[in-house]
Amino acid sequence: MRDDPGNRPPTAMELQNMLAEGQTTSVQLVEDALSRAKASEDLGIFVSLREDSAIKEAQASDRVRSEKKARSRLEGIPVAIKDNIAIAGEPLSCGSKILDGYSSPFSSTAVERLRAFGAIPIGATNMDEFAMGSSTEHSIHGSTLNPWQKDRVPGGSSGGSAAAVAAGVVPIALGSDTGGSIRQPASFCGVVGMKPTYGRISRWGLVAFASSLDQIGPIAHTAEDCALVLDCIGGSDSRDSTCLPSGSTDCYGVLNAGLENLVIGLPKEYFQSTGVDAAVLEKVYAAVKHLEESGAELREISLPHTEYAVSTYYLVATAEASSNLARYDGARYGKRSDAARSLVGMYEGSRSEGFGEEVKRRILLGTYVLSAGYYDAYYRKAQKVRTLLRRDFEEAFLECDVIATPTCPEVAFPLGSKLDPLAMYLSDVFTVSANLVGVPGVSLPCGFKEGLPIGLQLLGQAGDDAMPLRIAHEYQKATNFHCAVPPGMAP
Amino acid sequence: MNTQRIFSDYEVVIGLEVHVHLDTEAKLFTSCPVSYGAEPNTRVSEVCLALPGTLPVISERAVDRAVRAALVTQCKVHPISVFARKHYFYPDLPKGYQISQFEEPLATGGYIEISDPEDASRHLRIGLTRIHIEEDAGKSIHDPALAGSEVTLIDLNRAGVPLIEIVSEPDLRSPEEAVTYLRTLHRILRYVDVSNVDMEKGQFRCDANISLRPHGEVRFGTRTELKNLNSFRSVQSALHAEIIRQAELLEDGGEVVQATMGYDADRDRVFVMRLKENADDYRYFPDPDLIPLRLSPARIDEIRNSLPELPSGRRDRFCNLFGLSTYDAEVITSSRPLADFFEDVLAIGGETADFAKTVSNWIQRDVLGALRDRDLDIETSSLTPEALVNLLRMVEVRRVTVKSARDLICELVVSGGNPEDLVEQRGLEAVSDASILDTVIQEVLSENPDAISSYRSGEEKSLNFLMGQVMRKTKGKAEASAVRTFLIEKLKVGPT
Repeated sequence: MRDDPGNRPPTAMELQNMLAEGQTTSVQLVEDALSRAKASEDLGIFVSLREDSAIKEAQASDRVRSEKKARSRLEGIPVAIKDNIAIAGEPLSCGSKILDGYSSPFSSTAVERLRAFGAIPIGATNMDEFAMGSSTEHSIHGSTLNPWQKDRVPGGSSGGSAAAVAAGVVPIALGSDTGGSIRQPASFCGVVGMKPTYGRISRWGLVAFASSLDQIGPIAHTAEDCALVLDCIGGSDSRDSTCLPSGSTDCYGVLNAGLENLVIGLPKEYFQSTGVDAAVLEKVYAAVKHLEESGAELREISLPHTEYAVSTYYLVATAEASSNLARYDGARYGKRSDAARSLVGMYEGSRSEGFGEEVKRRILLGTYVLSAGYYDAYYRKAQKVRTLLRRDFEEAFLECDVIATPTCPEVAFPLGSKLDPLAMYLSDVFTVSANLVGVPGVSLPCGFKEGLPIGLQLLGQAGDDAMPLRIAHEYQKATNFHCAVPPGMAP
Repeated sequence: MNTQRIFSDYEVVIGLEVHVHLDTEAKLFTSCPVSYGAEPNTRVSEVCLALPGTLPVISERAVDRAVRAALVTQCKVHPISVFARKHYFYPDLPKGYQISQFEEPLATGGYIEISDPEDASRHLRIGLTRIHIEEDAGKSIHDPALAGSEVTLIDLNRAGVPLIEIVSEPDLRSPEEAVTYLRTLHRILRYVDVSNVDMEKGQFRCDANISLRPHGEVRFGTRTELKNLNSFRSVQSALHAEIIRQAELLEDGGEVVQATMGYDADRDRVFVMRLKENADDYRYFPDPDLIPLRLSPARIDEIRNSLPELPSGRRDRFCNLFGLSTYDAEVITSSRPLADFFEDVLAIGGETADFAKTVSNWIQRDVLGALRDRDLDIETSSLTPEALVNLLRMVEVRRVTVKSARDLICELVVSGGNPEDLVEQRGLEAVSDASILDTVIQEVLSENPDAISSYRSGEEKSLNFLMGQVMRKTKGKAEASAVRTFLIEKLKVGPT
């Protein structure tokens, strides 16, 4: 079925071949991407575009290609960057009013490496404020719409990046994933999204939400493109103490190793959990069946502490967020309240006016979690549960090579439909564990329900980022769910 | 209330928290340089400013310095310690939290020995609760002259400078012990290059916890904390003032309330800064941006092996090897460069007890004074060990007089040089030649008949007067014992 890519916009690999064969230029690709970005303005994908600088960089890339040779398979490829990943000299707002007018004087390691390998960031994509949310509705820049159905959310918080790829603006985008913020929007938008092993990609230049959970990762049409990006931006960084040492980051090289002798674990707690859409379950079952038919073995496994994952996640994430967001005080950069007449007034005014409701809610929760007298009951206990969850996964991986689950219990929900924060939090049930235990996770499209994409999640062992990509790649070689195009998006 | 009565009624209990800037070129969590006195906000990186997306990375040099401090104070250095975030809002704290260590500090359970201020021959062992690593905050400047009364200026040059906090047990029983402890700690830390401990630059700062209890009482009294005592003198006076304040409260049947206190040196008064009942909740938790600090036994040993000999060990060695008095050895080992100088002199001039004693005397009596008068120390002076040996040898063989040698030391510390050459150039060879002295003595005696007669009538003092006159005429070059012998002979002989 791969023989028929339909109207799907080309992948980075395909664009690279066209560039290599002289069928197009980087300048052409960047100009096209910029014009598509502008043509799809109604989707609210981008919060800023680097029009002049992206074209200049494309010219330089074309020169490098003609005078020397391509620096990597990403040479000259336009990419989009989530608005919480710093690009030197560009606005960095994290969807928040409190960073109004702020530009980062330095680049994130991920962007630095992308550029060193020749990729060209064309702009910053919309997101839930400070990456807190699952719908990209909580942004000072407004909501991003799902390209498949414009009354639906694209997921979040990396909704802008997932929509940018789904709408064919760019073949590759970077997102960040703290509890599912890459995988869930990838699932909702019918693209591939990956959260690598914690520590695989340097967090230098990623605006912190919850430091022990945050990871940058790629969003693309294919697992193959994700592997390219991961190999390019992963690896140790002296500016991030939590970054893993460089090592076996060659994901691209092992993509075609096949499915023979692989065991795919199906955690019963995920498949038996209530509130999972029947259509989602059906398509995910069908996908794993397909993998079985292609040579893998299916095995039911257990992750017994799963029911505590969401609560644990919201204790750890809010605690860390309350601390990480303390720096936005109006003193040095970003918004300072005009009404302030005293020091405390400056703090109160700037933070009250600068942060949105969801961010305030989480700062309050996190402050509570860390307070004297509550720390042991909440934060310390959450860390203990985290250890139990980690043990669950270690034991599960004694029995299987990869764990398959739905990415989300449902397909993209209508804009404005989840007003109850708790309902929003509970929709993270399948994604948060990977962040709590640090393992890599990939979401890839595996079917549709009433025209809306469904995601299959593959979780690998910590450090083995190649395995879930490799399985996703095999699946994509044999299926064409990733080749479908949102209505009206045909080029 | 007089302090003597207070001390007879109450036992004073003091524990000190000392903040010490580590001697490093870079800040604790970024390579941004540390410098004192630079233009405000010119020694700041994106990390110091807490820009979004920045992360801390620990400075290994700072860890080394901190471990040194722990080892020289006999603390147990933990193989794993954890950085924690301490939260509070203040404009000179850019992240909204300070990175410190809380539940799992670098080191615990050490001690230092200090000499008992009441009896220098006795030593007191002062326990150390813990040593932890943390970063300094910036400075807030509330100076109406600079900024107007409505404005506070922020200087973040100091933000992120590496510190250790050294917390003592409540083992100190008087302000004098507290100051002796601080001086000892100050000396040790400089000795092993942990810090430059310059108090004027805020590199060595002290907070004091103090309480009173009746003698014999086991439980501690309610304590107060005196903040920001930045000189030895202010530690002593602030503690005295607070002891009197607490004692008066207790005497009047009142209670000491837990509080953070400040000290106004100009008025010699302590004042309440804030009460502890609304105690701050710092919401400590392990910093997720930093992995636990791991120190292998091999690394700790390596740091231990790089430590110089400690002042106390060196002092004992000088006493045992050269028979110096404890006091003399204490002075000689008060700074590492001085002790090094002393050892270098002995290495050149001979490691005998006699010579050691001579050198020790000359250093204490003449060299240190000469340095002090010129605001120098042994490191910045031009006096070399070779020069001192050379000079002392000339004194020994009476080629120069003690007087001339002293004058020469004053010159040598400033401009250096070879004493032999200087003696020759200046014509400072001692005069003991009878024929030359004879002329001068004759002159003096003929000019001072009164002195002669008073000497003869039994006034020994007159001899000293006459000697002085001879010395003056020879510009100090006359060898004193020779002058004395000749003078006495002349005076015996009869009227001149």
